[in-house]
Amino acid sequence: MMNATLLMEFARKPLVIALLLIVALLVLGEALSPGFASAQQILRLLIVAALLGIVAAGQNLVILGGREGIDLSVGGVVSLSAIIAGNLMNGMDSGIPLAVLGCVAAGALFGLFNGLGVTLLRIPPLVMTLGMLGVLQGLLVVIRQGIPSGRAAPALSNFVSQPFLFGLPGIIWLWIVIGVVMAWLLGRTVFGHRIYAIGSNEQAAFMAGVPVKLVRIALFVLSGVFAAIAGICLLGYSGSSFANVGEQYMLPSIIAVVFGGTPLSGGKGGYTGTMAGAVLLVILQSILTTVNIDESGRQMVFGATLLVLMLFYGRGRAMRA
Amino acid sequence: MPKLKLSGVSKAYGATVALKRGDLEIDGGEVHVLIGSNGSGKSTLCKIVAGSVRPDAGEILLDDQPVTVSGPQAARALGIGIFYQELSLAAHRTVAENISLPDLPMKAGIFVDREALASRAARYIALFDGVTGDGFSADATVETLRADQRQLVEIMKALAAETPVLIFDEPTSALDRAQVDRFFDILRDLKAKGRSIVFISHRMDEIFAIGDRVTVIRDGETVGTRRIADIDPAGVVRLMVGEQDELAPPASAPPAANHTGAGSVLGVKDLSGRGFANMNFEVARGEILGFGGLHGQGQSSVLRAIFGATPPAQGAITLNGKPFAASSPREAIRNGCAYVSGDRTRDGVVHGRPILENVTPIHYLRDRLFLARPSALRDKALPALQALHTKFATLSHPINSLSGGNQQKVVIARWLIDRPDVLLLDDPTKGIDLSAKADLFALVRKLAEEGVGIVLYSSEDAELLNNADRILVFNGGQVTRELTGTERTRYNLYQAAYEAA
Repeated sequence: MMNATLLMEFARKPLVIALLLIVALLVLGEALSPGFASAQQILRLLIVAALLGIVAAGQNLVILGGREGIDLSVGGVVSLSAIIAGNLMNGMDSGIPLAVLGCVAAGALFGLFNGLGVTLLRIPPLVMTLGMLGVLQGLLVVIRQGIPSGRAAPALSNFVSQPFLFGLPGIIWLWIVIGVVMAWLLGRTVFGHRIYAIGSNEQAAFMAGVPVKLVRIALFVLSGVFAAIAGICLLGYSGSSFANVGEQYMLPSIIAVVFGGTPLSGGKGGYTGTMAGAVLLVILQSILTTVNIDESGRQMVFGATLLVLMLFYGRGRAMRA
Repeated sequence: MPKLKLSGVSKAYGATVALKRGDLEIDGGEVHVLIGSNGSGKSTLCKIVAGSVRPDAGEILLDDQPVTVSGPQAARALGIGIFYQELSLAAHRTVAENISLPDLPMKAGIFVDREALASRAARYIALFDGVTGDGFSADATVETLRADQRQLVEIMKALAAETPVLIFDEPTSALDRAQVDRFFDILRDLKAKGRSIVFISHRMDEIFAIGDRVTVIRDGETVGTRRIADIDPAGVVRLMVGEQDELAPPASAPPAANHTGAGSVLGVKDLSGRGFANMNFEVARGEILGFGGLHGQGQSSVLRAIFGATPPAQGAITLNGKPFAASSPREAIRNGCAYVSGDRTRDGVVHGRPILENVTPIHYLRDRLFLARPSALRDKALPALQALHTKFATLSHPINSLSGGNQQKVVIARWLIDRPDVLLLDDPTKGIDLSAKADLFALVRKLAEEGVGIVLYSSEDAELLNNADRILVFNGGQVTRELTGTERTRYNLYQAAYEAA
């Protein structure tokens, strides 16, 4: 009896659900198209998942901070970062440091705007970041008319696609490091505890001396920085940057977070689940491609997935209450 | 034959008995005053009559017929209308619509009958002609109105129901003198028409101006009913206080000695702000200063203003002799000020997070920590929790796994790791069990002995009388009386709290 209950509890953890689904989808993919779950193919999926996962790290932080926290501008920042990086390095390894610096600064700046708008001007995050996405998209059009798209430096391309350590490319290691840092940040630093506090009960956090606005601004800045890092890596993955390359990340980054057990209301969850969510989404996307469903169809499936997830978690909450 | 009769009505929420034995008898053509101290059960009694609370036992007779009031709709159908203390208006709708809200006049079954709506509104607005103030009209939306005007709308709404029995739960709290006088004229008129009116107010002058009879409730029990003509204000207070009149110093333990030599740790001079004015008091090291009086007379507002949780007030505050004006709780905490809210769900508990994280936030701030090392934090948190005899499984269990009393202990424990100089307690025992209360006050006394200056606001008079060295009685946002030494009796407390502001 006791064991059964424990098992049920275990099986209800989002991380466990995500991992089980990953295995199930891999089996399904292999059945649909032999070779789907080969080592080579899985490694390719993990690289794509790392790109999404890095964007989702920032998204995760913003959502954890609560008060309808969400960052819809991540896709725009990814695109912008890819273009800045492409132009600053323009195919040369020597340009990488400056490119990284420039991209991170740009990402932080747009995140700062988001954060200031949400805290000081009290604009709802949904509206603020959607507006920022519009600004970024306009900016991208202007930039593209003036300058060429730029190319990735060879070292960056190798970082993303060539084995670096134990047969895994650098981007996978980067993702693992980000995972460890996120776990440390959320679980072992005062800043992390403050994120949960404002996400769970902002008023109580305020009364306990948490600098609520400062923390929330930092979350948006971090989201911009993570999106910028993902933009650089995306340039390395695709070789050259093209406009709106990052647009595809907005919805999946949110779904990965929710799949991973962080509710949109914030205050609980973490990044480990989000990582599993990112892998899961990438496999799902791959299966949809395998069975010849085009981009619009995939978007529909993603949107529906998010709605089903919300339904699922909403019911869970109602049942607990 | 009484119009409405309640006998032996009771209601309990879990282990908390809100109403032990409520008896009430109201005749036609009378204004019947209901009075009792904070938490005595009079609101529960009203809610039972109005159908929003179902009684556990007892009998309700309407015109000598036993009735069951199954809900607010049923109450209206039976002819019982109520004015609620918490305003229940639709802010975006007009005055006219709000007046008819419970019973909109219809045309053809689906359309609102605009003409009937307007004429009905005009009838009730006319009753208050001349005292409604600027900007009041049938077409004004409620959100544009002042507090007193909203309260008038609420009164009109209750009157428009035209029910034979009308209950007014503190209807005059926001009204000015002229509005109150007009309202009383209307009540006298209704009384002449044979209506039965239940009137709850804490203002002794109003009670004697309008009441025919008064029923006193104490600790959830009806103590007695008197004709207003046969009693005076002092007599009413004596009924509310009961037999245990001359209880001055606490039975448990004497209050900590007032270390006057140590000087004041908190000084407040001419402090005015939202909901309070002209505050002047000092708290000595080791002193427990009590804030008393009826609910919502500015006690909480003063404490929150000192703590920096509300926009700054005018006046001067000193902490340890130095000028102090916190613009945020963060600043107040850094300067050694602590605040515990009675509303732990809103102001205290970080829901769903481990107990440990709920104890540590103040420590993070005061020690300017960056890393949260679990082992180090555990060593700090455990003694703080043990000092309050907090019951919990492990520090990593979510705080919601605890009982209300233990949750509040966790919230209080967060102030014990780094000792504050001043502890502000804002009705800290609201909704927690007796043993938790005892643990809490034992700790408060110990902190006082160690030199912490403590301000205690409690809505439970016994807590104040038993624990405070000195009591400031609040009335209408002002301190109207200071009770020291042997003056600290329930009688004096009630008298100061209930006299006209």
